[in-house]
Amino acid sequence: MSAEPQIELIGIDKYYGSFHALKDINLTIPKGQFVALVGPSGCGKSTLLRSLAGLENISGGTMKIAGALMNGVPPRKRDVAMVFQSYALYPHMTVEQNLTYSLRLKGVPKEEMRRATEEVARTIGLDNLLHRYPRELSGGQRQRVAMGRAIIRHPKAFLFDEPLSNLDAALRVHMRKEIRALHDRLGATSVYVTHDQIEAMTMADHVVVMRDGVIEQQGSPLDLYDRPATRFVAGFIGSPAMNFIPARIGPDGASTVFDRPDIRSLPIGKKLDPGREVIVGLRPEHIAVGAADGAGMTLKVAVVESTGSLTYLTTEEPLQLTIVMTGRTELAPGDAVQVSVPSAHVHIFDAETERAL
Amino acid sequence: MTRTYTPWFLLAVALGLAAIYLFPVYWMYVTSVKSGSEIFSNPPTFWPADPNIGVFGDVWARRAMPTYLWNSVVIAGGVTAITVVLGTGCAYVLARYRNVWIDIGLFCVLMLQVLPASVMVTPLFVGFNQIGLLNYPRTAVVLAAAAKAMPFFVVLVRATFMSVPRELEESALVDGNSRVGAFFSIVLPLARNGILVCAILTFMSAFGEYIYSKSIIQSPVLQPASVGLSGFLGPNSTDWNSIMAYSAIYVTPILAIFVILQRRIVAGLTSGALK
Repeated sequence: MSAEPQIELIGIDKYYGSFHALKDINLTIPKGQFVALVGPSGCGKSTLLRSLAGLENISGGTMKIAGALMNGVPPRKRDVAMVFQSYALYPHMTVEQNLTYSLRLKGVPKEEMRRATEEVARTIGLDNLLHRYPRELSGGQRQRVAMGRAIIRHPKAFLFDEPLSNLDAALRVHMRKEIRALHDRLGATSVYVTHDQIEAMTMADHVVVMRDGVIEQQGSPLDLYDRPATRFVAGFIGSPAMNFIPARIGPDGASTVFDRPDIRSLPIGKKLDPGREVIVGLRPEHIAVGAADGAGMTLKVAVVESTGSLTYLTTEEPLQLTIVMTGRTELAPGDAVQVSVPSAHVHIFDAETERAL
Repeated sequence: MTRTYTPWFLLAVALGLAAIYLFPVYWMYVTSVKSGSEIFSNPPTFWPADPNIGVFGDVWARRAMPTYLWNSVVIAGGVTAITVVLGTGCAYVLARYRNVWIDIGLFCVLMLQVLPASVMVTPLFVGFNQIGLLNYPRTAVVLAAAAKAMPFFVVLVRATFMSVPRELEESALVDGNSRVGAFFSIVLPLARNGILVCAILTFMSAFGEYIYSKSIIQSPVLQPASVGLSGFLGPNSTDWNSIMAYSAIYVTPILAIFVILQRRIVAGLTSGALK
């Protein structure tokens, strides 16, 4: 992977009237990287993608694709390909015509066009569907045509706008791998918008978490998982979501004290100002269940959900926690369990700024 | 119980109303081939005793119908052409942009529909007279009638454009087309059915246009068939079967077009352009 930047965003701002949709976005995407933009709906991730495509005009900042300034450049001159959530296949054209639309606009010679079509059709497995119309295809096939239409152009960047959200769960998992494999094979630069953090985590080299038009954090998927910069990122990445408990740093500065006397204090593995108001974050999969070294606390089980390979426990007062255990358990609602968390897996966030400490 | 009967009852009412509306058409055809005395016989006969088909050829020649019908076609064709070319662009803009000016524009367009032709004809006549348009009376009528037909066309075609997903256009833009190119290669083909249907309806209503033609066109050589028909109705006119024969010749082509295209028209009006 070369480090030369394919897409550069410097201080991007976008206003819709008085609404500030994108606030000072800075993002550099090296050539060949797969970047996922992830966040809840309305966070600006689609707006950012559409700005990259040229479908929205940015209000401020600098946008470069392959070194060329893109501010105000119309979409057709940007040489990027976009896969839409609804696929946006042209209903009055056959699969072949859909695939070759961009080539026909460029005036590519017939022979070359035929070769490109065959190659792409083979790549995405549509050889025998070329003369069908989009309405005669299944959801998965339409998705492939949309991909093919992007691939055939060999664009400077691929932009994906939640391309898998209209597929059923099984197909989605399958297409996830396929898109990633395609990306690697083509050596393409891809920007992928999704609201599904699993998609972002599994597919991307680099994940950008957005909220309210701001980049909350960016980094490799495991980086975000291990070292979330804010409480929002911590809650957004990982499934089931992280448990959050308000607390205060104890007098020794190395453990937390909870407001309730019936919850034992928790060592945090670092030194902080005593008395500081914090939020403790515990990932469900990091909470160990069973008679521990005595540093744990005893909680009562409220709900037990088994999936076969994993078991989800929910505890009740004094502390409601979601816990993921591998394997199965004999525990039943009402039972008491000993839980403990290794101090390396305790996340501490400032109560006020919600930033990681 | 009532549940199962209600649709049948409503269907019966609908058919009854349709019959009331369509009976005159039937009566027109029947009367046209009746003899003078049979027309006034009491009780009336519902099927002519001695059909006289010759009346059609007679009226066709005697009333110079080819000239009148040609004028109708010219006027209707002109109205349709202007309405389709201008109205399609207008409808597209009204469908794709949303702001206060668009709302004002749409309101003005709908206002045109509210004003009846009989109210508009006098100011139009005066205006056309001032700029000398009355020397080209058919052109004047085409302009006036196109203005009248425009709102209906724009509102219906706008709905058709709105049913074309925006993403298709955006996809075409990213694929390398210009705004105008995307309109012609993506949006227009998809809206074609709706536009065609509205064009046919516009043509048919312009084919029967009367008020503007009657007031603006003086020369019989330039008048459309609707005005020609009214020439029959003098104070002493009793030539009912000729009048009915004239009407039948006038109406039959429109009816035929409608029957042939009926399926498409209904589909185009109810379902939008896609699918």
